[in-house]
Amino acid sequence: MNKTITTITVALCAALAAACASKAPAPSASSGDKSTFVVGYSQSNNAEPYRAQLNLQLQHYLKKYPDIELLPIADARQSSATQVSQVQNFITQKVDALIVSPTEPAPLTAAVEQACAAKIPVIVLDRTVNTDCYTAFIGGDNVLIGKKAGEEALRLLPDGGNVVELRGIMSNQPQIDRDKGFREAIAANPTIKIIADREAKWLKEQATPIMQQWLAQHEKIDLVYGHNDPMALGAYLAAKAAGKADSIKFIGIDGLAIPDGGIRAVQLGQLSATFIYPTGAQEAAETVNKILHGQPVEKQQVLGTTQVTKDNAAELYKQYDLSGQN
Amino acid sequence: MSSEAGTVLTMRAIGKSFPGVRALDGVSLTVAEGEVVALLGENGAGKSTLMNILAGVFKDYEGEIEVGGQVAHIHSPRDARRHGIAMIHQELNLVPELSIADNLFLGRERALLDRRGTEARTAELLRGLGLDLSPRTLVKQCKIAERQLIEVAKALSQNVRVLVMDEPTSALADAEVRRLYGVIRDLTGRGVAVIYISHRLEELEEIADRVVVLRDGRHIGERHRIDRDELIQMMVGRPLGEMFPRAAGGSTGEELLTVEGLSVPGEPGSGRTPLREVSLTVRAGEIVGVAGLMGAGRSELLESIFGVHRAAGGAMTLGGRPYRPKSPKAAIRRGVALVAEDRKAQSLVLGNTIGFNVGLPSLGRFLRLGVVAARRANAAVERQVRELRVKAPGIRFTVGNLSGGNQQKVVLAKWLLTAPSLILMDEPTRGIDVGAKAEIHALMSALAAEGKGVLVASSELPELLAMCDRVLVLCEGRVTAEFPRGRATQEAILEAAMARRQVTA
Amino acid sequence: MTAVRTPPPVKARGENRMRRTLSALGAAQAYIGLVLILAVGIATKGEIFLNETNLTNAVGAFASRGILAVGVTLVILTGGIDLSVGSLLGIASMTAAMMLARFSLEPWQIVPICMVVGAFFGFLNGAGTTWLRIQSFVMTLAMLSVVRGLDRQVSDNVSVGTQIAGPDGKLTPQAEAFQVFGTPGHNLFDRIYYPVLAFIVVCIVFHLILTKTRFGRHVYAVGGNPTAARLSGVNVTAVTIAVFTLSGMLAGFAGPIDAAYSASADPQAGQSYELDAIAAAVIGGASLAGGKGTIAGTFVGALILTLLDNVLGLNAVSDNWQLVIKGLIVVVAVVLQRPDLFTFLRGGSRS
Repeated sequence: MNKTITTITVALCAALAAACASKAPAPSASSGDKSTFVVGYSQSNNAEPYRAQLNLQLQHYLKKYPDIELLPIADARQSSATQVSQVQNFITQKVDALIVSPTEPAPLTAAVEQACAAKIPVIVLDRTVNTDCYTAFIGGDNVLIGKKAGEEALRLLPDGGNVVELRGIMSNQPQIDRDKGFREAIAANPTIKIIADREAKWLKEQATPIMQQWLAQHEKIDLVYGHNDPMALGAYLAAKAAGKADSIKFIGIDGLAIPDGGIRAVQLGQLSATFIYPTGAQEAAETVNKILHGQPVEKQQVLGTTQVTKDNAAELYKQYDLSGQN
Repeated sequence: MSSEAGTVLTMRAIGKSFPGVRALDGVSLTVAEGEVVALLGENGAGKSTLMNILAGVFKDYEGEIEVGGQVAHIHSPRDARRHGIAMIHQELNLVPELSIADNLFLGRERALLDRRGTEARTAELLRGLGLDLSPRTLVKQCKIAERQLIEVAKALSQNVRVLVMDEPTSALADAEVRRLYGVIRDLTGRGVAVIYISHRLEELEEIADRVVVLRDGRHIGERHRIDRDELIQMMVGRPLGEMFPRAAGGSTGEELLTVEGLSVPGEPGSGRTPLREVSLTVRAGEIVGVAGLMGAGRSELLESIFGVHRAAGGAMTLGGRPYRPKSPKAAIRRGVALVAEDRKAQSLVLGNTIGFNVGLPSLGRFLRLGVVAARRANAAVERQVRELRVKAPGIRFTVGNLSGGNQQKVVLAKWLLTAPSLILMDEPTRGIDVGAKAEIHALMSALAAEGKGVLVASSELPELLAMCDRVLVLCEGRVTAEFPRGRATQEAILEAAMARRQVTA
Repeated sequence: MTAVRTPPPVKARGENRMRRTLSALGAAQAYIGLVLILAVGIATKGEIFLNETNLTNAVGAFASRGILAVGVTLVILTGGIDLSVGSLLGIASMTAAMMLARFSLEPWQIVPICMVVGAFFGFLNGAGTTWLRIQSFVMTLAMLSVVRGLDRQVSDNVSVGTQIAGPDGKLTPQAEAFQVFGTPGHNLFDRIYYPVLAFIVVCIVFHLILTKTRFGRHVYAVGGNPTAARLSGVNVTAVTIAVFTLSGMLAGFAGPIDAAYSASADPQAGQSYELDAIAAAVIGGASLAGGKGTIAGTFVGALILTLLDNVLGLNAVSDNWQLVIKGLIVVVAVVLQRPDLFTFLRGGSRS
């Protein structure tokens, strides 16, 4: 018994040591030496492919500035409470600049205000907070992207048709915006009807059985609109199995440049189109650099989107693929 | 009907049915102030059901209850408490992790706890019962006998008028029983009525003013004068032969089990008694008894021989070969069986069937290519169950629904199926009705006659005296005496069991 | 034997028969829910619902969770709980996708590797609950977190696709073969949908293990009364470790199915699956107190959950109400399984 415990303790210690060693050395963010700057980034959830991509890109673009050091990215794992305490940790460490991708607007507002009170410049990335007390906001426009997706639907269905919509988690702002923009756009053609819509929680494996049920119920489905690429691809799998993949168009959003992502799916002809939801990493890196060197920055930076089609897919993939560069 | 003078409780035409069973049918009972009424009957006769109704355990039943001449509607434990009725259950209802004081006032605390007040009141009650314990002692640290008295204290703290005690002595050694009787007499002197359920007829002669006999849910009769044979006949509905049928001085064979200087460390938290250099032998065909007070180490001795506790010193042999079991599994493989003290907690999977329970330790015998040969196993189980006359509709019957005596027979069947050469029995007849008790005694004799060794621990001295070829007495984990059959008397055994001073040297 | 017992009176025998019938009914009560859902499905969406493709799709979507439920049932039977199965499925699914993408292993090689990975973590669960005496709830909760973290670490938080194309643009032979594990539209021998087959086979195998083997009896004994089991010669520690290892192994077995179903392994795959698995076991009559439950019940519980989802989906019931209804079903199922249900219902009206 004692032997077992000893063995396990030793193993645990070794694992801990290994985990610690793989981390970057703990920074002593001394405010006196201004030849290097320390930047903290609080990410809402590393486990979403889009955010993993964002992390990669941010690390990549910040490397271009040798005087800026990015601390290990803090992962809030979808918990606002965790994120608040992580932001507060960064404030205590006296980082020179802070980047936050909020999980939810309301809970993070106070934390951002605290940073602001501590005179730390804050860049809010991707999702908003309910205060003006930040230095810059950088993010995509989901209503706009939804609208573009709707316009693509108009183009694909000139004679009208039946559309099904796979939604993200209902309470998420991007879900609300992507739905809103899409509906506004397709209103231009009253013969296009959304005959069914359901929450598939951004997940591929949730989308497949829903699509299977729709295929059983509805004689004619012309287009699937997924609020992200995985859901659109989950529906594609179901349609392919039913032998209807060729008669249905699929539109997704996100356009990640990863082997399992939307750009490749467009290249393979599985999706008719997807829309790149910009990570804003490049803009964030540039903005941080400007702030730290006392240059003026634009407070609201709303990013556009790029439509991925079969023609530009290969090129876009190359442009956004960072797998070989880090 | 007006109540006669002094009558504190009247239960009239009480009936109660469970799914498929008529547990009580028109039973009436009256109890006077300061009276001790014993409720007698075999397991399943309806005693516990009747008392549970009185204590408000069951929401609905037929009939009427009067307390102090007034109709009392008792449908919850709260109602019962309001009418001054308290019940001490066979399975004590104390929360082990709480202190004595907290237990006494559980459910009656004020919103803001009055610690000092309750502790003072508790200390007073404990003193009154002759218990030398701090009110802050956790119940889990108390011995069974002490817990019993804590239950009494709990009842007394509620201004009780009728106190029901369900088999209060089943877990007590004789000296502790004496103390309990003292408490009961004290209570009745103060006008409290006591309803007393017990299987030990010899106790009733001493403590009961009146005996009421139930059988199959019906009131059979009552007696003021205690005549054992007559009461037994009323209980079982037929005359009973000799209670302890073992003929004296059977021939014994080879040494089967020898234990030399066995020492087993105790366990501080759990109150397990350490064994100190215990030596004994059991011969084939012999029944050896182990006597001793609570905490003398009787169970620990049997469990250690069965491989439950690791020995720190000493040596054992079994059938002439060295024996050092490191688990019950190893003991069973060597042909040892343990009929444990608490059949519900230690021996039976109550929610499963008779067949499951009986077959459990001997499944290895019925394996074919890793699969249990169900038909063969069931046939063997069925034979064993029939041989022991377990009263049940079949081996697929759930064990939890059997009466205590039949449950114990299932435990015995389970061990006999392993074909053991040495059978360890810990309180084999506790809480069992007279009929089943006699059958188990007969079985013990039969096993010895077949040449098996039996080592039996019991707190009922008459049982040991009548059944055993030899009786060992334990006190604080040591053997303090050994009596051959015929030379053992209750007095001598008790003296050895309390021989604390002599042995501590 | 000296005492001569009279045979039990005829009346008692009749009562016992009645009691037996009642308890048999109790077992059947798990099926009432299934029959109800089937009835609602047929009544509302007859030809769409009762159609081979739809039923295959519905069961297939739940198959990996159903397999988890079998493992969880084993653990629940011993009186424990396994909260880590969702994470174990996740890491097994990731293992499968990576074995395929990085090493081009054949499917028949991938499955045993995934099972070993799952069994390894399951074994750690068992070791923690027995040797370190950590309550299984706590131990497997910790394992849920540890394994999810490892899963995300090895995958870099990026999902890994299983439809790997060779240089010619077509799927590699291994990727082609891997689809049989559950990518919709790919069947074994062009006829049998592997996830459904796998789920049913797992149920049958473990039903037989539980009912026909000594190990199965020991599982029930450990859950019913660990002390009695030990004193009856059952190696309680070994049985406990074995059920956790088997549960992990089954989660590992379900991994490739999950990966093939989505044609990719997502680092979030399997999240909260443990709750569906536990729900299936409980609806099927397993008691979290241990010692009570059957694989047949769990199978029915899984069918109830997935067919309910299907029927509600076909009737376009909103997701919010689906959640409400699913929760209520769990409560109703558990109440239906009370052995004293009829007394319980009558009790209210009699007094």
